[in-house]
Amino acid sequence: MTNNQRLVYIALLAAQAVIISLIERAIPSPFAIAPGAKLGLANIITCMALYTLPVKDASKVVMIRIILATLLGGTISSFMYSAAGAALSFIGMCSVKKLGPSRISLIGVSVAGAILHNIGQLTIASWVAQTWTVLLYLPVLSFFGILSGIAMGMVANYLLNHVEQLHYYRSLQEMKYTPLNQVS
Amino acid sequence: MKDIYHMLKPWDVILTVLLVLLSFLPIAIFVSQQSQYAEEDSVNVAVITVDNEVVEEIQLTDNMETREIEIAISDHDNNIIEVDNERIHIKSATCPDQICVRTGYISRPGQTIVCLPHKLVVEIQSDRGETEDIIISS
Repeated sequence: MTNNQRLVYIALLAAQAVIISLIERAIPSPFAIAPGAKLGLANIITCMALYTLPVKDASKVVMIRIILATLLGGTISSFMYSAAGAALSFIGMCSVKKLGPSRISLIGVSVAGAILHNIGQLTIASWVAQTWTVLLYLPVLSFFGILSGIAMGMVANYLLNHVEQLHYYRSLQEMKYTPLNQVS
Repeated sequence: MKDIYHMLKPWDVILTVLLVLLSFLPIAIFVSQQSQYAEEDSVNVAVITVDNEVVEEIQLTDNMETREIEIAISDHDNNIIEVDNERIHIKSATCPDQICVRTGYISRPGQTIVCLPHKLVVEIQSDRGETEDIIISS
């Protein structure tokens, strides 16, 4: 990937992520029984970025998404929640992915991201409300987090395998991690 | 469905189970904390706080009446809280997300209703436990 290609690719992913999170905000929450739970569609983009870009560039995609989505119709408090959730889930997803493709698939990475996102948000919520009993709500949220995490992991996996360019970027990314001296 | 089984790797399952267990950790801590002073004659009190300041305390145990309490956050923002016998809920609120209203009734110690936009928290405390806590710490 040349430098320009990489920049355009980051910008494309970030733009898609922003649009997806805006669209998601317009959909009424499908989990009406659990207030606060949502689909987490933007997780697809984070997964795709993680598998096709270096960690540094993937974090740029996430940061741009959070900032732009907040500017386009969020509030400071919603920024705090999504930033905490996104930071925690991104760190978690990166470290989980380090286990290697033979041990963990996109589904695991996506589920870990979804649950850690919930943990991050609830931690901020309990800090704002000054009572840690808010965290008692965690099992409900993480149950829906697992469901949506599996779904989003499958979608991301499907995209990575079937969109030719993404597939190519992914193989480039995986090649970089296999030491060169082993090949020769 | 076949594809999912094909895709799953061992660590996916391990990690998911671990994270589920982790999400139950706060409840486990809470239950063990509660059982230290689980007394039959404890009194449940609903404490309403706004911006971390207690504005109202309502005794729920043996409460037989239904009444409404209006908590004014500012000139045009308020939460209307309804006490119904031994349980309490937020009847209506002017916050944008309405999560507090949808939380519904709470009645057991430790349950909370949180309205983050208004920084309002309704928490049920076990009054017996509170006093014992002070004795232990002194």
